[in-house]
Amino acid sequence: MNIKGAARETWTWLDDRLGVQAVMDFLKHKPIPRNRHTPWMYTGSLVLVFFGIQVLTGIMLAFYYRPTLEEANKSVGEIMTKVPLGWIIRSVHSWSATIMIAIVFIHLLGIWVLKSYRKPREMTWMSGVLLLVFTLGFGFTGYLLPWDALSLAATKVGTDIPRSIPLIGAWGTRFLRGGEDISGDTLSRFFSFHVCVLPLCLLAALALHVYLIQKLGMSLPVGADEEAETRRAIPFWPNFVYREAIVWLVFIGALITLAVFLPPTLGKAADLMAPAPEGIKPEWYFLFLFQTLKIFPAKILFITGDTVAVLLILLAAALFFFLPLIDNKPAGRKGKIITACAFLLVIFAVVMSVWSLQTPSKPEADKIVAAPQNIKESTAIFIFLGWIWLSVAVLTYLLRLKIKETDRLLDVGYFSSERR
Amino acid sequence: MRLKHSLFTRRQFLNGLLGGWLGGLAGLFLYPVLKFIFPPEREPEQVLLPLADYGSLEAGAIKNFAWGSKPGMLKKTAGGELLALVGVCTHLDCNVAYLPDKKKFFCACHEGWYDENGINIGGPPPKPLRRLAVTTEGENLVIRPEGAA
Repeated sequence: MNIKGAARETWTWLDDRLGVQAVMDFLKHKPIPRNRHTPWMYTGSLVLVFFGIQVLTGIMLAFYYRPTLEEANKSVGEIMTKVPLGWIIRSVHSWSATIMIAIVFIHLLGIWVLKSYRKPREMTWMSGVLLLVFTLGFGFTGYLLPWDALSLAATKVGTDIPRSIPLIGAWGTRFLRGGEDISGDTLSRFFSFHVCVLPLCLLAALALHVYLIQKLGMSLPVGADEEAETRRAIPFWPNFVYREAIVWLVFIGALITLAVFLPPTLGKAADLMAPAPEGIKPEWYFLFLFQTLKIFPAKILFITGDTVAVLLILLAAALFFFLPLIDNKPAGRKGKIITACAFLLVIFAVVMSVWSLQTPSKPEADKIVAAPQNIKESTAIFIFLGWIWLSVAVLTYLLRLKIKETDRLLDVGYFSSERR
Repeated sequence: MRLKHSLFTRRQFLNGLLGGWLGGLAGLFLYPVLKFIFPPEREPEQVLLPLADYGSLEAGAIKNFAWGSKPGMLKKTAGGELLALVGVCTHLDCNVAYLPDKKKFFCACHEGWYDENGINIGGPPPKPLRRLAVTTEGENLVIRPEGAA
């Protein structure tokens, strides 16, 4: 028997048991609408790509990271200076987190403005809000792990916020910290959240989210002509995947370039007794919450300002989660007020973030700045980057050829003839 | 013989090029990952043992030192020579013990035996214990891998 025959036989054997062909057939017939809103549809899979990168680089970092009071900062320093290419892996993890969260926000905004959450997709939206919460949880817990002055201060503030919630707040703070104060136990706990609890929660919510998207199909823009859209739509596999692949490649190239040229630094090990560093700020995606908390006065009437702020934020989060139930109009109506709310929220977040950046932060002395260890390493990295961008260019060209080819096949009805 | 038709279609060629290039790119990414996962060996280039502590060894006696993260053993032979060994069994990496009454090294994991010079004499060990070079430089004994300058 020749190799081709053997491969086909193995494939048949596997397919009989796994049913891969059924999945492929489904994806071949899953229509992706082709209209001026299609670019929003690249954001979901892009988030997934960056999540995958986070998982891989996270596992690698955990090989060398040690989550204890004495060793946490030291081990991150060793990853940056001793482990071969460790500084790039850490940089990729950090940049990929930032880009992932940015795309999550864009994804969310797109769904919001297009009203894709309306019936029957309410639960897709809600599972998406859960994914957002878990993603921000990853950002928050991961920020403590390098255990420098910045991460300690951020965690002190972040874990103190629940305390302002009446009745259950103090319990929440103790749960997050593993005691009244931040200690080595907080670090172990955050590590456990970051690498065990949150990944499991996120995968569960993700499974529901992706299942619902497959079950319900892609939403059409408000007021679309359904028949025309069906005629124009392209199948997910292969026509749409080839288009998405171009976006993935460009973003991966950009990610690695950013990671090489702008690696994150590492401050000195956190001192539990030291005062908070001047002008500290959280990561950019928490800036608007940070500034909101800052502008509330100490007392509003007879309630502490913090409590009012936190309750308002919780109320906003609840409204946000239940948005599909609030805006339960028939899918045909535009919902201009809801769109206006989205833009107001964006303006609010941008204004608050820019405002908070007006306080200058003091650059920390004695921090570890990552860089290639020698001329050999930096040369290799530049050649590597060159190859990546060359590959992005070549692959984009080839993928465009494939897109033309598959679109032509679609136009002549090649795919529909195999429809069963 | 000249073929009138190409042996493969444009589509196969394009698929092969695309798949091949993607595979190559994945391979390119694998290199830094492997570099990171397998850091270079960190065997010490040399270990200094102060003569004040290690110089006054009696014949037949043994003193331990750290050879990186492995146990090193410094022994004075009956002839008065200094012998440095890595106290790790050559069978399956267990640390060995020196039994002074028997004048033998013993590995408890699979009952391996070495004589007082670290030569394998019984049980599964395939090779003698690894030897290190000992020189005296000023105030210190210098232990280096054998063969290193």
